[in-house]
Amino acid sequence: MSEPRKDGGADAAEVAGIHAEAELERAYDADLLLRLWHYVRPYRVIFWALLAVLPVASALMLLQPYLLKIGIDRYVETGDVAGLSSVAVVFFLAVLGEFAALYLQYYLTMSVAQRSLADLRRDLFAHMERLPQAFFDKNPVGRLVTRVTTDVDVLNEAFATGAMTIFMDLLTLSGIVALLLWLDWRMALATLTVVPILLLAINFFRKRARVTYRTIRERIARINSFLQESISGMSIIQLFAHERESYAEFGTHNGSHRDANHLANIYEASLFSIVEAASSISMAIVVWYGSGQILAGVIAFGSLVAFIEYMQKFFIPIRDFSAKYAVLQSAMTAAERIFQLLDTEAEPGTQSTAPVSADEAERGAVVFEDVWFAYKREEWVLRDVSLSVRPGETVAIVGATGSGKTTLTKLLGRSFEVGRGAVRVSGRDVREWNVRELRREVGIVLQDAFLFAGSVASNVGLGRDGVTEEDLWRTIRAANLGGFVESLPRGMQEPIRERGNNLSAGQRQLLAMARALAYDPRILVLDEATSSVDTETEQKIQEALERLLKGRTAIVIAHRLSTVERADRIVVLHKGEVREVGTHAELIERGEIYARLYELQYSGARSRGAENPAGDVSA
Amino acid sequence: MGRLIGYLRHYRARFIAGCLCLVVTASLAMSVPLVLKCGVDHLADELARSGASVQGAPATSRVAGLAGNEPCLPGVTGADVSTYALLIVAIALVQAFARACSRFLIFNVARDVEYDLRNDLFAHLESLPLDFYHRQTTGDLMSRLVNDIGAVRLMLGPAVLNLLNTPIYYAYGVSIMAAIDPALTLAALAPYPLVILVMRHNGRRLMEGTLRVQEGLAEMSSTIQENVSGIHVVKSYALEDVEAERFEKQNRRLREASLKLAKVRAIIGPTMRVVSALGILVVLWMGGTRVAEGRLTMGDLVAFIGYLNALAWPTMALGWMFAMVQRGRAGMQRLQAVFAEEPSIADPPRASGERGPKIDNGEIELRGVSFAYPDAPDAPVLRDIDVNIPAGATVALVGRAGSGKTSLLRLLPRLFDATSGEVRIAGRDVREYDLLELRRAISMVPQEPFLFSTSIRANIAFGIPALGTDGKEGERRIHEAAEWAAVAQDLESFPRHYETMVGERGITLSGGQKQRVTLARALLVDSPILVLDDSLSSVDTHTEERILEALEQRRRGRTCLIVAHRLSTVQDADLILVLDKGRIIARGDHATLVAEGGLYADLFRRQRLTEELEAI
Repeated sequence: MSEPRKDGGADAAEVAGIHAEAELERAYDADLLLRLWHYVRPYRVIFWALLAVLPVASALMLLQPYLLKIGIDRYVETGDVAGLSSVAVVFFLAVLGEFAALYLQYYLTMSVAQRSLADLRRDLFAHMERLPQAFFDKNPVGRLVTRVTTDVDVLNEAFATGAMTIFMDLLTLSGIVALLLWLDWRMALATLTVVPILLLAINFFRKRARVTYRTIRERIARINSFLQESISGMSIIQLFAHERESYAEFGTHNGSHRDANHLANIYEASLFSIVEAASSISMAIVVWYGSGQILAGVIAFGSLVAFIEYMQKFFIPIRDFSAKYAVLQSAMTAAERIFQLLDTEAEPGTQSTAPVSADEAERGAVVFEDVWFAYKREEWVLRDVSLSVRPGETVAIVGATGSGKTTLTKLLGRSFEVGRGAVRVSGRDVREWNVRELRREVGIVLQDAFLFAGSVASNVGLGRDGVTEEDLWRTIRAANLGGFVESLPRGMQEPIRERGNNLSAGQRQLLAMARALAYDPRILVLDEATSSVDTETEQKIQEALERLLKGRTAIVIAHRLSTVERADRIVVLHKGEVREVGTHAELIERGEIYARLYELQYSGARSRGAENPAGDVSA
Repeated sequence: MGRLIGYLRHYRARFIAGCLCLVVTASLAMSVPLVLKCGVDHLADELARSGASVQGAPATSRVAGLAGNEPCLPGVTGADVSTYALLIVAIALVQAFARACSRFLIFNVARDVEYDLRNDLFAHLESLPLDFYHRQTTGDLMSRLVNDIGAVRLMLGPAVLNLLNTPIYYAYGVSIMAAIDPALTLAALAPYPLVILVMRHNGRRLMEGTLRVQEGLAEMSSTIQENVSGIHVVKSYALEDVEAERFEKQNRRLREASLKLAKVRAIIGPTMRVVSALGILVVLWMGGTRVAEGRLTMGDLVAFIGYLNALAWPTMALGWMFAMVQRGRAGMQRLQAVFAEEPSIADPPRASGERGPKIDNGEIELRGVSFAYPDAPDAPVLRDIDVNIPAGATVALVGRAGSGKTSLLRLLPRLFDATSGEVRIAGRDVREYDLLELRRAISMVPQEPFLFSTSIRANIAFGIPALGTDGKEGERRIHEAAEWAAVAQDLESFPRHYETMVGERGITLSGGQKQRVTLARALLVDSPILVLDDSLSSVDTHTEERILEALEQRRRGRTCLIVAHRLSTVQDADLILVLDKGRIIARGDHATLVAEGGLYADLFRRQRLTEELEAI
């Protein structure tokens, strides 16, 4: 109860973007785009519609300054008020059209984005569910949550404000240049002289800004990991009176982050101001050059106004370009991480197309044949384990902590692959099975139950089709939960909170048994809970257990005395090896490992009730 | 908010300078359309005088400036068009400078405040008791330190800038336009309230939509979280498809909510653009008519268009600015909640200059101590503990998991304060000492070895950082501590010895190595009290014996408190305290307790069995 909490740490690491350092600097990658296109493809009709709308929006926007020119040159200067009104009407229509086009542009973009990204999310989740257990042991929860939520969101953002608008910006920019050249090519060239200078300046700042941004990312990552670590290790900091030093160190990280940001602010402010200045200077050029043209009678006032208007519109996308570029960059990084997850190899055997079925003659039999297993190279957790369980037999596995009991069960469900030797279920090597079929055959039940948020019904019935309410009730009664569920205000539909937090340990165990009963596997692997429950619940659990074991092969990691006493055979695992096999009476008689284990684990349990049966004395 | 103003005050010089630059920028920006107007009017005049208009004489009278011989801009006489063009360039250059200054001054102040806020928050976190960290998840705290501080910065930077900018632009724009033609001004700005209307109409939908999308995301996150934590259940019950389907339902809900939100957003964005376009339309139509009628000049028309363009951006900024301020305020509130946490375990109040008492020996006394964790006040974990430990004694605490051993140890350095009773060290209540003094007097090796992601040297020198950098003497003492903790050999085998980085950016130590490094860290500090909270559990028996032997030889009168599960560790203690359910149920030395035959004897028997099993 009093250990510093470590959950949520991983989330924070993600918030921190600790991995941001590894970020690659690029906004374009053909392979990634191609893979993204795969998700857009189903909605390509919307996508093409969107591509059709973009030039329309652009054109309607660019039409307005031109209408201004016509209005001024043709009607204002001639005093033709009626003509002016008709131009105004066209202008109004252009504005309405632009509104509609912009609306469509945004909505269609989001339509494509949300739909294809929802598909991507679905695939990500489904793929994640098929990743091997070892993957989950290595990757913190927070990181996986980030992949499916935040990273996909970054892509959405890129769709919304990045990619599509950059395309439209390019259209607009080229449209403006074309129109200017068409209106008066000399004046256009004169006005656009600022552009090369501007591009040089932008390039100058962008290069520096990019380096600074990278520094900022590294430094914020450092701040965040420092913070995270300090929060987790706060008691150490306090115990060793290290507050002042930690504060100073934090201040250094914090300060260097601030300094880098100051620099970035200067670059950004300069860039922004230069673009604005260029816009004003181009206006001055229009006035200066344009006045000569007007006096020379080449153009009229309207063109001057139109030029000014076009130049204004010209600089806005240029100003926003670097921000959009940054969005694209982070989107590419996100896409890369997403596809990396999608490329992580799924569990072996999930894709198997030709599922082998059980050998009916040996249905329900389990055989371990000279099995060796190590999580880390050559550190054997199981050594040469051979064990044969007959159909319908109940075998109890006992052993001290770390003797390899749990590992044994993990090999059965093929959470891990054997190092050497073979495991056979119902007459077939587990590697021949389709993993899902295998797990229908072998049900692994942890009594210290992990329950899902949902209802009693959803936790027992597991959302499977064709399970009637009646079936559920039968199962629940068989698990001795009938009275309890009936007493709940909403009965079977009573909500269960995350991890079953609103239930007692005993209720969770009973629910886990009900779940196993409903699952009804041919072979049952049960890891008995060690948590203490009151005598009455213990009684109920034992009854339910008997019903659960009846008529099927069962391998039980036993913590209850009653279980070992009733088992057909007891297998004693010691330091990864099978050391003794026999019935309770035989092994007690023998007076070696089991006899000691029995005294250590079960004899105390008899005198003290169910409390602390494992005995935490062993270090 | 008061706190923020306090921070801003630090930087008021730069902040005010930034605001002044902002005013200069805005003024210059709003003078450009006026210069443009003069240039155009001048041009029209020249055109009229030269009579060279292609449109013929009657037309030129309509567009000619009405100003006559008066200078268009105060102080500008005898100007021609190129003068105005040059003036625009000059304004642009000065404005660029002022704009750059205003932006980085204000944004940098925002960064400075972020820096201060983060530092202060960190300092505050350091002062908070362990109890706070038990209540709060790291994830939540990190989110405050990262996201909420970020939101506050955005509020102080871009939001403040625009909050100042927009009114200045409007003040200038509206007054200059009104001076030229009040009626046209009114008409041109008539579409602008549309923004407010659309915002008001959609604001609620926007809020609700955003909320729904966020809820959808949150729901999805917890499903993923649940699936990842319970993946063993998913797999053993072959639930992959069922769960994928459940996820897909949420996914589809989120998609629909997002699309609905997109519809609202799709209206708001274009509205902003359309409003300024409609303003220009009004100028063209109504203003154009007035020019045609000779009541306005062409220059006025150009000026109006200029002003409407200039107002477009500040108007758009209004929209997201409010959202930003909202988020910033919410963020500040969440930060304030952390600041509001009391550092309930702190130094005793003292008159300035007065120095607290010193701890000069390791005598420990507990008088009627009871303790319950603050989050479970009704479930005391220690009850009526009375014990007196003379300086220099070795005391072992024994008991089952959850009997209160660790909790008892935590009371000594005041990681928690006793609920009732007194914890006394060197003859005084621990609450009378300054925390620094108290904690320097106790070297504690906690149950979970925690190392920081830095070099092994810095980790060992954690209690006396100066030694980590202090050349020869530091070197000697760090090596000595490592030697005592029986980790020196391991460290020598690492490629960079004591400079080896551990954790995130370095190597992963084994559990036993970690424990021994944390032991070295505690041994380096030569404090009168040494506390080992089951801190050798991952060290093999042989090494443990070596360590204990070394400790025994070099303890120099230290008081030692040891929690251990291996009773071999405990056997030689001067006093053994047996805890059960928060009470001391037996005390004495090994021989007496075994003879008594209670819980200790039982634990001892089990220990022997375990050792026998290990030996098989």
